[in-house]
Amino acid sequence: MVTGELQLNELDQARLDGRLGKAMQFAMQTIVTAAHIDQADALIDISFAHIDACFYNGRAHLDFVNYMLEHGASLAVPSWTNNGLVSLNDLSVRDPLASREMHEARELMQAYVKLGCSPVWTCAPYQLPDRPGLGDHIVGSESNAVSFYNSVIGARSNMYGDYLDVCAAITGRVPFSKLHRDEARAAQILFDVGNIPQTVRSNDLFYHLLGYIVGRKCGNRVPAIVGLPESCDEDDLKAISAAGSSAGSVALFHAIGITPEAANLEIAFQGRQPQQVIELLVDDLRQARDELGLNSDQSLTGIALGTPHFSYTEFERLVNLLDGRSIDPRLTFYLTTSRHVFEQAGQQGWIESLQQAGIKIITDTCTYFSPAVNGLHGKVMTNSAKWAYYAPGMLPVDVLIASLSECVESAVSGKVMLDQWDAT
Amino acid sequence: MSKQSVDIEGRVLIAGSAGGTAMVLDDTLSFWGGFNPVNGEIIDVHHPQYRQLVGGKILCIPQSKGSAGTPGGIAETLRNGSGPLAFVLGEPDVNISVGTLVANRLYGMNIPVLEISREQMKQIKTGEPISIDQHGMLSVNR
Repeated sequence: MVTGELQLNELDQARLDGRLGKAMQFAMQTIVTAAHIDQADALIDISFAHIDACFYNGRAHLDFVNYMLEHGASLAVPSWTNNGLVSLNDLSVRDPLASREMHEARELMQAYVKLGCSPVWTCAPYQLPDRPGLGDHIVGSESNAVSFYNSVIGARSNMYGDYLDVCAAITGRVPFSKLHRDEARAAQILFDVGNIPQTVRSNDLFYHLLGYIVGRKCGNRVPAIVGLPESCDEDDLKAISAAGSSAGSVALFHAIGITPEAANLEIAFQGRQPQQVIELLVDDLRQARDELGLNSDQSLTGIALGTPHFSYTEFERLVNLLDGRSIDPRLTFYLTTSRHVFEQAGQQGWIESLQQAGIKIITDTCTYFSPAVNGLHGKVMTNSAKWAYYAPGMLPVDVLIASLSECVESAVSGKVMLDQWDAT
Repeated sequence: MSKQSVDIEGRVLIAGSAGGTAMVLDDTLSFWGGFNPVNGEIIDVHHPQYRQLVGGKILCIPQSKGSAGTPGGIAETLRNGSGPLAFVLGEPDVNISVGTLVANRLYGMNIPVLEISREQMKQIKTGEPISIDQHGMLSVNR
């Protein structure tokens, strides 16, 4: 831990004294308060921010950004928006005319565009071009994105919350603390998945369940995972990021031989021994699957994909799995993605063919939180551990987690179809 | 003041003074998803204090839970007048502190956030009268 008095440079001092305006002063006071709480002795520059404060959580959110706008705030670094509560592209998803809250949710999103954010509206900003690189100090806020940036890209971010993300983007500064520092990035606990059969480890569901288990078991320690197959790609690592930061508070994990700060065990653990080694077996995966939702007798009513937002390669897999078939018309099938990936998939003709098959594709927001997107209730299948973890607390749903292939077969036949992915 | 009264010197995260009744959380709580900022109610169905209201209390939180949405939940409950009179934390929490700082600034409030140790936290019981001063001195008045 760092101690001692916080050192401010001349420009920081000018920001704090109000010489650069009231908005800058408020932002700097907030950064300095955060540094005091973290006991940081220095601030550092950031190169990028992903803003979560555009996600509506009451009138205070709007009052905050309006204060900043009225007092002349501007952004010091490129800043991209997370999901909003509503979709600016499709107002029927959560109707701004239906309530004051939804109206203010839209107003809030528009205010962040006015402040200068790039309106990418995605919880998976790392799927877009021009993403940060290895060693870059950045501000992430949405938990799956913080974990992906730290773990898969090797950029450096703490789990920043609302308001502090915006204050960092305005000042371009953050406390030099926790995951910005080398020593906090060492792995402390090791998960070994090498004895799980290769066929199981190559199923997309494996990564969601693994992330869930790691999140539940590692507490506030940095986990490393050994034994992931070479086929492991960014969609799989996204699944670990999202599940680990939902079921637990994983902001950084290392995948040995795969992620950039974990060429081998020695490097990932910075020369130290793991505090604990946990070997995972297929039974652990089965138990995780059951914890996330049992297959009840209730008949299937919906499918939800795209938490975090569906990637280009996931679209490609979905189109291949569906293979020209249609969704059972009794089911509601939602897929959420970013505008950028929506456009990429559209260029391949995939959007049109999936819509014709009966899939509703939504951008700018997600489906796991309230208010429920129209028609989403009852028994819902999802390929996302994050969706499965959160939705039952916020929506009138009974959830079943499944692989992408199981979701597709179930959607076509109109009833739950599970394969023997965990056969050993 | 009786002789059982306890004085605890805390670390000031957000300065302010307050007096009221303690409510000690029995588990961690996310102020986004697990809490309703409109009426100040704990709505996490897994929480031991599910359905209880935090409004008008000195809210004591032994262990925090990271959530990007927490500052908004804090600022919004304080704006609505359904929030606590002060926060006493068993570990430093940037999110709760920033939410409080923003509410204090936007709505002219004076809500303090104080950090004490987990050991000191054990000396405080729900229902006890507490006061906090500007310098971070917390008194449990028995």
